[in-house]
Amino acid sequence: MKIEIQGLNKIYPNGNHALKDINLEFGHGMFGLLGPNGAGKPSLMKIIVTLMKPTSGAVYIDGKDIQKHRKELRKMLGYLPQDFRFFTSLKTWEFLDYSGSLAGLRNRKERIAEVDRLLDQVGLLEVRDRQANRLSGGMKRRLGIAQALIGYPRLIVVDEPTTGLDPDERIRFRNILSQLSRNDVTIILSTHIVGDISSTCQGMALLNRGELVFNGAPENLIKHAEGHVFKLNLTPYEYENVKETYNIISTIPVDTGWEVQIVADERPDFNTSDIIPNIEHAYVYYMEHKMHADISE
Amino acid sequence: MPFLHNIRTVARYEAKTLRRSWFFRLFSIGALTIFTFMNIGMFSPIGDESWIMVSISSTIPLVNLYLLNIGQAIIVIFLAADFLKRDKKLDTNEVLYTRSMSNFEYLTGKTIGILRLFLGLDIIILSIALIINIISKVMTVDILAYLWYLLIICVPTIVFSLGLAFMLMSVIRNQAVTFLILLGFAALDIFWLWYRAGFIFDYMAFGLPVFKSGIIGFDNPGFILNQRFLFLFLGLALVFATVLLFKRLPQSKLHTGISVVLLVVFTAGAVICGYNTFSSWKNNIDERNLVVEINRKFENTPFPRMTDASLDIRHSGYNLEASAHLKFINDNDEKLMHYVFSLNPGLVVSDVSSNGGALNFTQTNHIVEIDPVKPLESGETDSVIVSYSGSIKETFCYPDHTENYNESPYRIEMLNVNKRQAFLSDSYVLLTPETYWYPFAGLNYYPSNPARIKVDFTKFSLRVKTEPGLSVVSQGKKRSGDGYDYFTADSPVTGLTLAIGNYLSDTVRTDSVSYITHYFPGNDYYKKDLSEIRDTLPLLISGIMRELETNFSTTYPFGTLSLLEVPVQFYSYPRMSTQTRAELQPSMVLVPERLSTLQNAGFRKRFTRQKRNMIRNNQVITDKELQVRLFNDFIRNTFISGTNFRFVNGMPVNEPTRYRLGPSFYFFKNNFYSTEYPVINATFESHLQKVSALQPGFIGISGGLPDNDKANLILRNGSFRDILAKNPGGDTIRIIVTVKGDYLFNLLRSKAGIEEFNVWFRKYIDDHKFTSVDIRKLNDDINKEFGFEFYPYLSNWFNRKEQPGFLFTDIQANEIVVGDRLRYLVSFVASNPEPVAGIFNVSFRTGGPSAGGRQMTIDFIQGGGGGGGRSISISSQGRGMDASDISKIVVMEPGEAKRIKRILDSEPRTVMINTIFARNLPGEITIPITEIKKSKNKTAEDEDEEKLDGLPEIFNRGDLIVDNEDQGFNAGSMQPPSPLKKLLRVKARTYDEYENINMFWAPEIWQKAIQSSYYGKYILSSAYTRKGAGDRSVTWSVKLYEPGYYDIYCYIGKSGDRVVVRTGISGGAAPPPPPGPGETGNSGDSPFRDMHYKIYHDEGIDEIMIDFENAEAGWNSLGRYYLSDDTAKVELTNQSAGRIVLGDAIRWVKAN
Repeated sequence: MKIEIQGLNKIYPNGNHALKDINLEFGHGMFGLLGPNGAGKPSLMKIIVTLMKPTSGAVYIDGKDIQKHRKELRKMLGYLPQDFRFFTSLKTWEFLDYSGSLAGLRNRKERIAEVDRLLDQVGLLEVRDRQANRLSGGMKRRLGIAQALIGYPRLIVVDEPTTGLDPDERIRFRNILSQLSRNDVTIILSTHIVGDISSTCQGMALLNRGELVFNGAPENLIKHAEGHVFKLNLTPYEYENVKETYNIISTIPVDTGWEVQIVADERPDFNTSDIIPNIEHAYVYYMEHKMHADISE
Repeated sequence: MPFLHNIRTVARYEAKTLRRSWFFRLFSIGALTIFTFMNIGMFSPIGDESWIMVSISSTIPLVNLYLLNIGQAIIVIFLAADFLKRDKKLDTNEVLYTRSMSNFEYLTGKTIGILRLFLGLDIIILSIALIINIISKVMTVDILAYLWYLLIICVPTIVFSLGLAFMLMSVIRNQAVTFLILLGFAALDIFWLWYRAGFIFDYMAFGLPVFKSGIIGFDNPGFILNQRFLFLFLGLALVFATVLLFKRLPQSKLHTGISVVLLVVFTAGAVICGYNTFSSWKNNIDERNLVVEINRKFENTPFPRMTDASLDIRHSGYNLEASAHLKFINDNDEKLMHYVFSLNPGLVVSDVSSNGGALNFTQTNHIVEIDPVKPLESGETDSVIVSYSGSIKETFCYPDHTENYNESPYRIEMLNVNKRQAFLSDSYVLLTPETYWYPFAGLNYYPSNPARIKVDFTKFSLRVKTEPGLSVVSQGKKRSGDGYDYFTADSPVTGLTLAIGNYLSDTVRTDSVSYITHYFPGNDYYKKDLSEIRDTLPLLISGIMRELETNFSTTYPFGTLSLLEVPVQFYSYPRMSTQTRAELQPSMVLVPERLSTLQNAGFRKRFTRQKRNMIRNNQVITDKELQVRLFNDFIRNTFISGTNFRFVNGMPVNEPTRYRLGPSFYFFKNNFYSTEYPVINATFESHLQKVSALQPGFIGISGGLPDNDKANLILRNGSFRDILAKNPGGDTIRIIVTVKGDYLFNLLRSKAGIEEFNVWFRKYIDDHKFTSVDIRKLNDDINKEFGFEFYPYLSNWFNRKEQPGFLFTDIQANEIVVGDRLRYLVSFVASNPEPVAGIFNVSFRTGGPSAGGRQMTIDFIQGGGGGGGRSISISSQGRGMDASDISKIVVMEPGEAKRIKRILDSEPRTVMINTIFARNLPGEITIPITEIKKSKNKTAEDEDEEKLDGLPEIFNRGDLIVDNEDQGFNAGSMQPPSPLKKLLRVKARTYDEYENINMFWAPEIWQKAIQSSYYGKYILSSAYTRKGAGDRSVTWSVKLYEPGYYDIYCYIGKSGDRVVVRTGISGGAAPPPPPGPGETGNSGDSPFRDMHYKIYHDEGIDEIMIDFENAEAGWNSLGRYYLSDDTAKVELTNQSAGRIVLGDAIRWVKAN
C-alpha cells in the first residue's frame, strides 16, 4: 500500500490554518507522526480517516483519492481516535462486535471468535461482559485498540494509542502493531510518546504549526542530534546557571548535586560527557534548535 | 448484501442501546405496569368490564394503542433527539463513522432500531391485552384489529416523530429547542389541532376516528390510510432529508441518490395523501354548502304531498339501480307548474315518465325538477315513475352540520368513532330516509327556516333484489319470491329504511304487535345472558309497551316494532326541525351493534355484580327475577326515558334522545302543519313527546342552566320569529321550540281545562293519525269543542318578544278538614306587574303515604340538617300528552294579582312553579313550605283563584336594598386573556350572563348564579366566586336619604328544603344532584364557610365575618352603624376558608 499526501491544506471556518501544504509519501509498515500540540496531527488524521474534508490537496491510497473512494478506504480502515472515553450502553464485547460487524465480519460465529481473540490479545477477555463505560481508562484504550484492529484492516490510524497504558501494555501494543506492520498493513501512529516511534516506526514525519518539518526515518532524525546531547554533573549553584541557559531533558539528584541531560549546539563548560542521542533527544533538539535555526536562516 | 447487513447491524445495536437507556426502561416498566392493570381493570372478568368497552372486540387493542401511542409519541421525541446529540457527544462514535457504511444505511438502521424497539413494546402490551381478551368471557377476539391498529396508529406516529426529531436536530442542532418544538407540536395536536382541517395535523391519530366495527370493519379505510400515510411518508421523507444533512462525509453516491429519490417520492406521497385528506374535508364542506345553497333557491317552491310510493331496488356492489313509482296530490292552494323532488345527489336520474310517456326533467345536484304534461291543479293527484342509479353521498344528509369532532363528538369512551349516515357496499347496505335514497317531495333543510319540516305520510311498497346470501330488512310485511324481497307497509309512514346484510331475525308477537330483532350472527349474546326470561318475554314486552302507552297517553300505532342492529359508526345529527333522530324510524329502532353504546346492555356483568351485592346484603332473588329486572332496566333506560346527555366544551348538552320511542307516539303518527307558522309541528312534538331537560345533577356539576332558563334568556332578545330568522344553532332552536310548545299547550289547557283538553286531544290525534292536519283545522275543531280559538293567539306567541314577570309572595299552608278527611290548603299570592299576560303552572311536592293525585312522580331521600336551597329541575313540568304532573295552570293578565289556593290530600313540602315563558329566572321556582298551621276551626276553603285589588307590596317601605342585579352593585370586570391564548386563538372560558352555581369549579370572576332561594325580583340571583386571598371583592352602595344609625343586613340564600329529588321517569340515568349552597348532608364538604363583609361607616371600616353554614336563611345582621349620606357601602371580599364566596343583597334599615 502506498499513501501519498499532496499539497494538503486545512483551514477551519474560524480561520485557523491547521495544515499547510503537507506533502508526504509512505508505504506499508508503521509510520509515525510527531509534533507538539497544535501541530495539526489530529486534522491530518481525520482527513486520512475520512472524517473530515481537506480544504485543498488530496490523500491518495494506492493512487486513489480517498475523498472520491471513501467506501474502499473505510473498508480497509481501523481507527483509534485520541479521545475514546464515552460509550453507549454496550458491553465490551458488544462494542467490539458492533465494530466488527460494520467492518465486514458478517458471519456471527466467526465474528464472535475474532472478538474474543482480540479481547484476549489486549487483555480484556476477563471483562468482556462488563459495560464498556465502566472500564478503567487503560482498559478503554485497549478496547479502542482492539476495535481498530478488528476486521483485518489494511490501514490502521491510531492517535495517541498508548496514552494511559502501563509499560507492559505499551510494549504489548507495540508488539501487536509491529507484528501487523509486517503483513502488508500500513499503520499511521500519531503520538507524543516519541519512544513509541523509535521502537516501531520505519518512517516518520514531524509536524509543527501545521507544517511538515521533517520526513524520513527516525534514525535520520536522531543523526541530527548526534554530538548535541550531553550529560552534566552539576553542583546546585551550577545547576541554577545551566537551567537558565540550556534545554534540560532530564534531571537526576546525586550526592554531589545534579546529573543533568541537555541538548545544545555546543559543548558546555561544565563537567560534561557526550551521550548517544535517542529519538527523544533528537525530537527536542530538532524542535528547539534545528527548527529555530531553520527559521532564522 | 452489505447494505442490509449494515442496516441490520446499526438497527440491532441502536435498539440495544436505547433499550438500556434509563428513560426507555422507566417508560417501558411504567407502560407495562399501567397497561397490565388497565387491561385487567377494564377488560378482564375481575375488572369493571364496562359494556361500552367490551362489547366490540376491536376496542381492546384500540384503547391500548391509542393511549400508549400518546405516551410513546412523546418518549420517541426525547430518544430520537437524544440520538443525534449522543452521536456528537460520544467520541467512540467516531470509530463507527469511519466504518464502511453509507449515511443512508446508518440513519435507516437507526430509524429501524428505534421503530423496532417501540413496536416491540407495543407488541408486548398488545399481547397482554390479547391474553385478557382471550380469557374474557364477553369479548370475542379480533386478531386483525391488533395488527391494523399497530400499523395505522403506531407506525406512522413513530416514524413521523423520528423523522421530525432527526430533521430538527440536524437543522437546529440544539436539543432543548428541538424538544420544545416537538413537545409543543405534540401538545398542540392533543389540545388544539387534533380535529382541525379534517385531521390533517393529527399525527398521533389522537382524534382520527379509527374505530373498527365488528360488522363492517373499518368504514373509512380510504380516509384512514390517506391520513396515516401522510405522516408515514412525511416521516420517511424527513428521515431521508436527514440522511442528506447528516454531518458525516457520505460514502456512496448511489445511496445519496437513493436518499434524494426517496425524499422526493415520500414527499410527493405525503403531498398526495395530505391533499386527499384535506380535500376530503374540504369537499365535505363544499358539498354541504352546495346543498344549502340549492335548497335556498327551492325553499319557497310548492311541493306536492306524496301519498304512495312503489320502489323497485336492485342492489349490486356499491351501487343501486332503482325505479320509484310515486303518487302525489297537490295540497297547495296554488297549482304546480313543476314537480320538485329531492334525491340524494349520488344518485343520477336517467328517466322520468308518467302514464307511459316520458317527461322532461332536470337534476341540479339533489333537486329533480319534472315538467308535467300540464300543471297540477290544487287538490288534483298525479303519478310519475323515476328511474335512477348510483351511490349515496352522505354529505347531503345533514347539510347544516359539519364533521367537526370538537363540536359534535361521537365517542365510545375516549375513542372517536366515525360518523356515518349511510352504508352502501357489496356486503352491507343501510339507507334511512335521511339519505333520500328515494325521491321525496320536499327539502331536507330549509335554510331560512331550519325549524321547518315537511312530513308526508306515504304508503310504501318495496321490491328489492340484492346479492345472494344477503337478507333484506325494511318496514312492513315481508315476502320473498322470484329472487326478490317484497315489503308492503301496513300503514303510511313518514319514511322508509332499507337495510341489507347478513341479518338473522327473531320475532316475538304479543298484543297484536310483532317485535322483531334483526341481528348479525354471533351478536345475539343477550339470549344467553337473559336465557331465564325467554318464556316470559312476551309478557314483559307487553307490560313495557303498556307502560309506554300510559306514559305517552296514546297507543302504539304500528303492527311491528323492529330493532335493527347497525354498525357502530351509524350516527345521526340532531335536527332543528324535529327532536327525532335518525336512529328512530317508523316501527323501527336502529340500535348500535351489540348494543355497544348502551351501558345497561352488559347483562352478564350486571347480573354478576347485582347478584353478588344481593348475597352480601342477605337479599334473596332468583336468577329469573334478576334477569327480568335487568331486562326492564335496559328497555326503560334505552327506549322509554332515553336520557342522552353529552358534554360539549365541558358543558352538558341535552341531545334529543336517540332510541327513545317517543316519536312513535307523535312524530311518526301525527303532523300539524301551518304555512304561516312552519315551526308548529316541532313545538307540538317537543311538548307531546316530553322532551326531557337537563337533570339537576348535571346542572350542579357543570354550572349550566336548565334549558327553559336558557330559552327565556334568548327570548328576551327577540320574538320567536326573530330568533328563528337569525338561524341560530340547533341547541338554541330546540330549547326555544320546547318552551314555546309548553306555553302553547298550557294556554290550551288553561282555556279548555286540563282534564277536558287531555281527553279530547288524545282522541283527536288518534282520529287523525297518519294524516297531516292544518293548524287552522285544529283551531276550528277546538273552537267547536271548547268555544275558543287559539289561532289568533299564535300571532303574539310567534311575533311578540315581551315577557310577563311573576312575583310569588305570602305562601301559607293550613291543615283543614274537608268532609271527614284531613286536607291541606296551600295558598300564595301571585302577581304579574308586567304589561303582557302570561301563564304559569303549579305543582306540589308532598310527603306522607297518601301522596298521590296530581303530584309529580318523585322519590324522596331524606337529607341532612342545615340549610338547603338548590334549584330542582322540573323542566318537564306540565309537558306531555296529558301533563298529569301539574296541579293548576294560572293565567295572569297584565298588572294582575291573585291569591291561588289548592287543597291537597297529603302534607305539602314544596310548591313548584313553572313560569314557562317569563322574565323569571329561574323559571322553575321551588318554594319550600316551612310551616303548616293547624287550623282549629276546621272549615273548608274553596279551591280557587281570588283576584286581589292592586299589586302586593313585596318590599318594606323605607328599607334600602341593593341586590346584585341593581346598579349599586359592582363586581369589577373580567381578566383579559393571556397573550398565549390570544396567539393560539384559544377562547378564555366564557361565562354566560347567568349560570347555575358550580360547586366544584367556581369561576375566578364574580359570576351571577341563579337559584330559587336567592334574593331578587324576577331574577333570583347572587354573585359567587372562587375563594381567594381577599384580593377581589364586590360592593353594594346606596344613596341614603338622611344620615343616622342604620341596621345593615346581608341576604343569605338558603331555604329549609333539604329534599333530594329524582324524577321517576328518568330511570336513574342521571347522577344524583349535587348539594346546594349550604347543603349540609356532609357539612365537612360544604364549599361555603366564612364570608367576610367590610362595612364602611363614619368611624371607619369594620370587618364582619358571617358563618354561612350557621347563618339563617334570609336577612342576617351585620350590625348597627352611623352612616352619613355618602358612606353607605358594604364590601364582600373573596377571602374565605371555604371553596366558594357568595354575595346576594344588602339591606340598610334606618334605626328608630
